[in-house]
Amino acid sequence: MRQYIYKRLWQGAIAIVGALFIVFIAQRLSGDPVALLLPMDATEEDFAAMRVELGLDRPFVVQFGLFFSDAVRGDFGDSYLWNQPAMSLLLDRLPATLELALAGLVFAILLAVPLGVLSAAYRGGWIDNTAKLFAMLGQAMPGFWVGLLLIVVIAVKLQWLPAYGRGTLAHLILPAIALGWYPVAAMTRTLRSSMLDILESDYIRMERAVGIPERLIIWRYALRNAAVPLVTMIGVYFANMLGGAFVIEVVFAWPGVGRTVVEAVFARDFPVVQAGVVLASVVFVVVNLIVDLSYGFIDPRIRHD
Amino acid sequence: MRNNGCFILLGTLALIFVASSLAEGDGGHITVAFGAEPTQVDPTRTSAGVDGYFIGLFYEQLLGTTPELERVNWLAEAWQVTQQGAKTIISVSIRRGVKFHNGDELTAHDFRYAYQRQSDPASRQAGRLRYVDDVEVLDDYHFNMILSQPDASLISLNLDLFAIPRKYYQAVGDDGVQAHPIGTGPWKFVSRKPREELVVERFDDYWNQDLKPKAKRLTIKIIPEDTTRVAAFKTGAVDWIDAVPPAQLEEFKSTPGVVVASRPAPNNLYIAMIAIDPTNPLANVKVRLAIAHAVDFDAIIEYILYGQGIRTAQLAPGTIGYEASLKPYPYDPDKARQLLAAAGYKRGINVPCYNLTTPREPYIKEMGEAMFAYLGVVGIRCRIVQLEYGAWINLVRVNARPVMDGIVSTMWGHGLPGDPTDAWSGHVHTSGDGWGTYSYHSDPELDDMIKQLRTTMDLKRQEELIRAVARVKHERVAGGIPTYRPLITFAWSDRIEFKPWPGAFWRAMREIGLRE
Amino acid sequence: MTDITRDAEITTTEGQSGFPFIAATVLTIVVVCAAFGPWLAPHAADAISLRDAMTPPAWEEGGESGFLLGTDNLGRDILSRIIAGARVSVVIAAYAILLSGGIGAALGMIAGYFGGVPDSIISRLIDVQMSVPSLPLALLFASVLPPGEGMVILVIVMTYWTWYARIVRGEVLSLRERDFIALAKVAGVSTPIIFIRHLTPNILNTMLVLATLQFGSVIVFEAGLSFLGLGIQPPQVSWGGMLSDGRNFIEVAWWLITIPGIAIMASCLASNILGDWLRDTFDPVRRQL
Repeated sequence: MRQYIYKRLWQGAIAIVGALFIVFIAQRLSGDPVALLLPMDATEEDFAAMRVELGLDRPFVVQFGLFFSDAVRGDFGDSYLWNQPAMSLLLDRLPATLELALAGLVFAILLAVPLGVLSAAYRGGWIDNTAKLFAMLGQAMPGFWVGLLLIVVIAVKLQWLPAYGRGTLAHLILPAIALGWYPVAAMTRTLRSSMLDILESDYIRMERAVGIPERLIIWRYALRNAAVPLVTMIGVYFANMLGGAFVIEVVFAWPGVGRTVVEAVFARDFPVVQAGVVLASVVFVVVNLIVDLSYGFIDPRIRHD
Repeated sequence: MRNNGCFILLGTLALIFVASSLAEGDGGHITVAFGAEPTQVDPTRTSAGVDGYFIGLFYEQLLGTTPELERVNWLAEAWQVTQQGAKTIISVSIRRGVKFHNGDELTAHDFRYAYQRQSDPASRQAGRLRYVDDVEVLDDYHFNMILSQPDASLISLNLDLFAIPRKYYQAVGDDGVQAHPIGTGPWKFVSRKPREELVVERFDDYWNQDLKPKAKRLTIKIIPEDTTRVAAFKTGAVDWIDAVPPAQLEEFKSTPGVVVASRPAPNNLYIAMIAIDPTNPLANVKVRLAIAHAVDFDAIIEYILYGQGIRTAQLAPGTIGYEASLKPYPYDPDKARQLLAAAGYKRGINVPCYNLTTPREPYIKEMGEAMFAYLGVVGIRCRIVQLEYGAWINLVRVNARPVMDGIVSTMWGHGLPGDPTDAWSGHVHTSGDGWGTYSYHSDPELDDMIKQLRTTMDLKRQEELIRAVARVKHERVAGGIPTYRPLITFAWSDRIEFKPWPGAFWRAMREIGLRE
Repeated sequence: MTDITRDAEITTTEGQSGFPFIAATVLTIVVVCAAFGPWLAPHAADAISLRDAMTPPAWEEGGESGFLLGTDNLGRDILSRIIAGARVSVVIAAYAILLSGGIGAALGMIAGYFGGVPDSIISRLIDVQMSVPSLPLALLFASVLPPGEGMVILVIVMTYWTWYARIVRGEVLSLRERDFIALAKVAGVSTPIIFIRHLTPNILNTMLVLATLQFGSVIVFEAGLSFLGLGIQPPQVSWGGMLSDGRNFIEVAWWLITIPGIAIMASCLASNILGDWLRDTFDPVRRQL
């Protein structure tokens, strides 16, 4: 177990260093990282100071070292649009993004579990086909488009839910649908196939023979076991939601990390962009790490995967 | 023990009840939505028009403009211009008993401090005070602005100085001011979440009791997306929105319970052309004239902007020096083609075209695309480069000509009523020493005329000179082709009363309150 | 718009079903539009006609037969723009699929065949790449590189090569143990020949399935980038850009956001359905893909 933890921690660390390296490369790709990191009205002295800070006259490895040592301290430069350190600006907005991603995940689970179970139970029937189509639609409809349609129909025409902003639970529903529908297809399929396996197992056959009602068998005994593969993937889905939230935040004027970074791209506020990419990667890696490790504790079989 | 708990609970509930009913009687709480957000709340550090959106709530100047666009004394009680030798002196006496939000009294020293901050190159607006050598404090209520030469555009800028609390500024520093701006204005700062909202509260000690807002509290939500902003209004989440999308204007007008008002934006849209390099085709007046005749702006205003624009030849009606006899270049694609051929470009030209976009100007992106498409029809083939507002501001902030060549869909802003002097000194005068967009044009005669315009203090002479410059500029297609001045439309629910005041692009939020 | 890569984990529905004619037809239409767009489109995609602005689709009141799917706020023909957008989508998808498939398969084969150090380096690379969510990555590159097709393709390739690499690596890992590879090795066949003659044909089916599935997700990804204004730049037409332009008119002209959305959805759905069918056909036994 301990070895497994070390291995995962080590992998996570490499992944984050790699992400930092990608950001570093992107910075150099632009040709002039100094111009990228300083506001346009920076003075010649600012430029000179930044050149020294980045170590532009020194070997490439040293440059990355300098970048890396700033990065681990969370220093990605100041946002010149907002006059504050880029990372702290984004950390302020992280809770909003986490909230949205979590809501999207909850929506996806609420939809995928009944769909997956019912399509396994009535395999080949109309429920199965409808569920499949519904799930596939979610995969094919871009989340931002779903969001726009929801705004027009649910918020503006029917006036059932607020169209934008953050605050109450009601504000969360539409963005959560727009964000959460996408993974429903994959989740449904995972659950459906593991349900099918379980439903054909000897163990369930025995319970049937004993005369336990089918409904009870499906929803209690089979689902409990069939959910394991789905549960192990939840971390991955959650982390993916964080990335997906970047566009959904723009559609719903959600005050999160994604919207801030998108605006920073347009305003050429590069410190915020690079901090955003690193933050997204770190959150992604950490979430997956936590999920993996906790499953490692719960279900030792997974460790050997 | 249990009883005590009950009492405390009851007492708290009673207090909440009383407090909430008091709040109602206090003018209430109004939530509005803006489509764009300033990056600055310090008036001595503004550089973009949009920065005025919040500054107008907190800060005031020596002069002001009424909703009827008359210039009146505001924090100045009286002012006069005298000539002393080579120096021009503006002597100002300020209103007594004006309080800042923190209780400090406004004095002449604060204006001197404002001068120091605003004329610091870091202010990004130092150019406006380029002829002011010093501000000399005579006593707490009197000061002199000492100018090295006359400059009437200072008057159009309301004498430019902002009332900022010197002691507070010095105590908290730049970051402190950003975190909590303090001025003399009708609203005081409560809290701000960038990209989300600004909450302000009525300043009860406001010096101008007649113009104290009725509402107690105002929450300004930032919703750049048209659809979401409109949806927020329709669902009642906000009571007031700016920038009603022109496409939905008719619908808004016919909705019961919704009041709509349009005002001319203090912004002039124009096509800038980089004509400073003589080898560039755009340096040829025939090519520029071809561009001017190639685009059907009447159609653009009618069909893209739903009529929400005032076509301009050079200046819009109401601007100082507006001349009705100057007519816009008519749409005539054949003439454009001929001009292009006459200039030696029978096969047309390829140019980069920068398309400025900002949520503040409705459909500006589409307008630009249409404009460039029209140019393509006559053989001026555009390679479109999108230029978002933030990036554009960064470009024009540079202390040098931005590295661009080609055609730029852009704009220049001014106060109300408009005065083009400062903008023209910027983008028409060769050295481009006015604020804003840098000059891409060089014409010694125009330079000379603008210089004269800049160095007069006589308002009548100022008007004559503006007319003269406009005529020459029009003839030579110099300093860009003016296109239109947008109208901004506000909508509010009839739950509230509102009257647009011209400051902050008509978003000054002076007369706003719940309807009784 | 979310990361599609990880959904490679999904297990398929079992059983073989009939050839999905509708899906294949939709994809054929998209490809034909891409290839022959300029000859098919009734108007030039960027020709504006302000007097015809906001014409609804022909079947609606006020519609005109000249503009079958209506016009946008500049009076540009929606049908012609959808056709032009198909071209952009297909071209980007083709490049992206070839590049990410090629790079991914090559690395996956090396990792799977040789194991050891090359395998752990490539596997770590995959881990690293997968730990950077694709949309933030796209934003990063959008802010340092000029926007446009090249940037979009680069970001897609960076995101998707891992998809191919991981699956091909898995396949090769099991192929390596099979008799015919062992025999070839014993017979002294050189490694490059083993790769080309023996490994490649055996992963082709997998590659075809992945490529078909990727087509759909590339279209959605590109639409998302263009919707944000970071992908395809006007005057080039893209479906995502059309959605972005239309969102301001969502209440006055429903067709502006509905029609491009349907185009995206239909192409993506069709490619997913076809991909599923291919997978079932090539390997009816449920497997990790």
